[in-house]
Amino acid sequence: ETFKFANYMAPTHPYVASTFDPFAKAVEEGTKGEVKVTVYNGGEMGAGPAEQYARAVDGVAEFSISLPGYTASTFPLTLAAELPGVLDEKTGTETIWKNIELFQPEYRRVKLVALWSSAENIIYSATKPIRSIDDVKGMKIRVPSRNSGELVSAWGGTPVSMPVSDVYNALQTGVIDAAMIDGTATKAFRLGEVAKFVTLGMETTNSPFFIVMNRDAWDSLNDEQKAVVEEAGKQASMNGQASQLRVAADGIETFAQMEGREVIRLTPEEAAPFNQAAEEVTARIVDEIGGDAEAIVEALKAN
Amino acid sequence: MTSVAVGLAGIASLFILMLLRTPVAFAMMIVGFFGMWVLEGLRSAGGVMVTESYSAVSSYSLIVAPMFVLLGNVSSAAGFSSGLYDAAYAWVGRLRGGLASASVLACAAFAAVCGSSVATAVTLGKVALPEMKRLGYAPGLSTGAIAAGGTLGFLIPPSTGFVLYAILTEQSIGRLFMAGVVPGLLLTALFMGVVWIVCKITPEAGPRGRVMSLKEKLSTVGRSAPLLGVMFLSIGGIYAGAFTPVEASGIGAALVIILAFATRSITFGAFWGAIQDTLKTSAMLYAIVIGANVLNPFLAVTRIPDFLGTALQDLGFGAYGSLAVIILAYIVLGMFMDGLAMLVVTVPIVYPMIVQFGFDPIWFGVIAVIVIEMGMITPPVGMNVFVVRGVAGDVPLTTIFRGVFPFLLAMIAALLLIIAFPQIALFLPNSMFG
Amino acid sequence: MLEITRSGPARSIDRAAKVLSTLAGISLLFLMAVITISVLARYLFNSPVTGVDEIIQLTAVSVVMLALPHATLSGAHVRVDIFDQLLGRWGRLAGDVLARCLSGFVLAILASRAWGKMLDAYEYEDTTNMLGLPIWPFYGILAAGIGLCLVVYSVELFSILSRGERE
Ligand code: NA
Ligand code: NA
Repeated sequence: ETFKFANYMAPTHPYVASTFDPFAKAVEEGTKGEVKVTVYNGGEMGAGPAEQYARAVDGVAEFSISLPGYTASTFPLTLAAELPGVLDEKTGTETIWKNIELFQPEYRRVKLVALWSSAENIIYSATKPIRSIDDVKGMKIRVPSRNSGELVSAWGGTPVSMPVSDVYNALQTGVIDAAMIDGTATKAFRLGEVAKFVTLGMETTNSPFFIVMNRDAWDSLNDEQKAVVEEAGKQASMNGQASQLRVAADGIETFAQMEGREVIRLTPEEAAPFNQAAEEVTARIVDEIGGDAEAIVEALKAN
Repeated sequence: MTSVAVGLAGIASLFILMLLRTPVAFAMMIVGFFGMWVLEGLRSAGGVMVTESYSAVSSYSLIVAPMFVLLGNVSSAAGFSSGLYDAAYAWVGRLRGGLASASVLACAAFAAVCGSSVATAVTLGKVALPEMKRLGYAPGLSTGAIAAGGTLGFLIPPSTGFVLYAILTEQSIGRLFMAGVVPGLLLTALFMGVVWIVCKITPEAGPRGRVMSLKEKLSTVGRSAPLLGVMFLSIGGIYAGAFTPVEASGIGAALVIILAFATRSITFGAFWGAIQDTLKTSAMLYAIVIGANVLNPFLAVTRIPDFLGTALQDLGFGAYGSLAVIILAYIVLGMFMDGLAMLVVTVPIVYPMIVQFGFDPIWFGVIAVIVIEMGMITPPVGMNVFVVRGVAGDVPLTTIFRGVFPFLLAMIAALLLIIAFPQIALFLPNSMFG
Repeated sequence: MLEITRSGPARSIDRAAKVLSTLAGISLLFLMAVITISVLARYLFNSPVTGVDEIIQLTAVSVVMLALPHATLSGAHVRVDIFDQLLGRWGRLAGDVLARCLSGFVLAILASRAWGKMLDAYEYEDTTNMLGLPIWPFYGILAAGIGLCLVVYSVELFSILSRGERE
């Protein structure tokens, strides 16, 4: 049996070699070739990240990679993990997997195969440097999720939501002043060409990724095969995070070395007002989600 | 049957269905659906249908299509379009095929703010085609000029094609954009040359206007003002970074409607007629997009592009021999596949070979984008031709494909020039970025 | 493309398509208004309406899907007309029957899958990200629009088979 793995990212994206291909290989070897996985990159199974969850639910592909943030209403608990101050950037994925059972109720329509936290989001600004929270006032900032939008509002900025593929043009033409995204964007979306400043050092959101699997396809596997997929998925989560952190750090480093570009690292004093606002946002959103959210956030923080 | 064989059978069926008058959109859906069913089972096939339909109709960037079509329809109903073309006719109508050349130029100007070929063809087609028809231009020339002119949307920056190529190959978007500028202007000039030659051979294709006095010419300027003003505001707004293309399209449509009612140029009945026309055209356009999006995953699982890549490597031609084969393969694939989809499936296979042969990756990006543009106007699946057929209303597809042919030759000429003189593409980016 | 018989059911399909098309027209104007207002709000009050893109996207679903049956009924879809003469009367008839059977089959699959998606989105209370708007009605509109296209093709098929080509 051959399963399709839908990846909307380019075949040259670091995830492909570090995470998706090894996952496919692990499943095939673990099941002694009974289950093969073909990775379709660059949106060959359908473009864009937004519909990838639906592609796994509907069985367009048996596996798909996406971010829970694109279908936020389905994953309020998973998205509690993206809030500032909940996960540690370095150990986030381990923490998630220690508490994975807490998230499972949200994955009834699919099988959750892998889930990993990303590098913290930073801010790429086109022309205006952000050195203190006062600089954010009135800036139009593209945000990757609703929660991030709340955070930008709390800082005094104006959140704008737009697909990541539009960010380059929007920064260049001035439709937005800045974009909140992680450090991989220097290379992946060429933001180093259109942004002069990067600001980091404050507590921000991260953007978790997941690999999900079509339910019927999952049910068609025997217990041994299921165990293989689960194990490969857990390994993919670790690989995914490791690769993501490496590329993000590299992106920040590359940005700093580009001519006329500056990376602004806030001192603890400069970051304090940002972090205080972030803390309030986290508390308020956890409260709004209700249910198990508070327990989950406590469990994640405890690790 | 191997997946490649199924793929070839699918392409053959697509030909047969279209030849038997199945609407193009449904032919693509049928082949995509049944092909996926054969290769991947009913679950995947049905899934592709529903997710691709929903993602197409809920796409944000596609909204420029209905909005600019609405702008064009209301302008026509209110007489604004004829005002603009009367003015253009007064000023350039004496020239051989002057209006068709002016439309090509307008396409180039619009291409400079819009990244999509289809949107460029729709927008200009809606305004220009009825007017060129009114002023006696042959339908083949006018639709051909718009369908081909629309492809400039892809070459002149900003371009979704270059963005995708940059991400696939880790090249700089800025460099690629700059590399597209001169070839884009070159192609614009060549298209205008085609118009001139066509009208030289068959003068009745683009009849010359009569001589007008300066006073007569000046009197037309006022009547061109409403549409010119709206276009200036909406497109100028995109240039200035005031709004995105979708916003510009919405505001442009709203402005035209307000102007039409404020100047009492339109009745409510005519307005409602313009809306109904817009809906028909939009539904038709979206159906084609859905069809193409359903067909693409099927073509991907057939592995035909991989198959072609391996075959090429086995042939062992030299650098330019392989380049020629790659370009030919692109032209053949471009006959069936949507341009962006084609980039995604072929670039990862072709790009490493190109680099290995020592070709400049930025230069190849320009070549690839021009070849993909050609695919948008070659039969049987030529998105721009379908779109122009949709907005033109009464021109047979055959006439448009025939009208496009000389413009295809111009694109081949541009390709050969850029292959012979890579500096056409590379001079600007190299002098700007070092 | 083909004139439908003036029978009762055909007339009610015609009427239904027109009603949907009127709703689509209203949606189109609403879409334009939302885009315009969002830009005005951004510049006049310096406050972008958050989540306005979600309203725009959902409205687009209703514009297109409500307009599709009427467009299909009035033959707005692009066809390849190169071989019309070559095919002859019987060839054209066969082609028209085949096109409607196959398109109808694919549309039926699509309509039923869209209906399933609607039930699923309703059960799981799927909403948009920023504004939390319910998504199920829009899958419903997708199912309805496609469903009515299917009916249009069925009636045309019946009409072709009982009366032959009418162009
Ligand atoms: Na362009
Ligand atoms: Na083509």
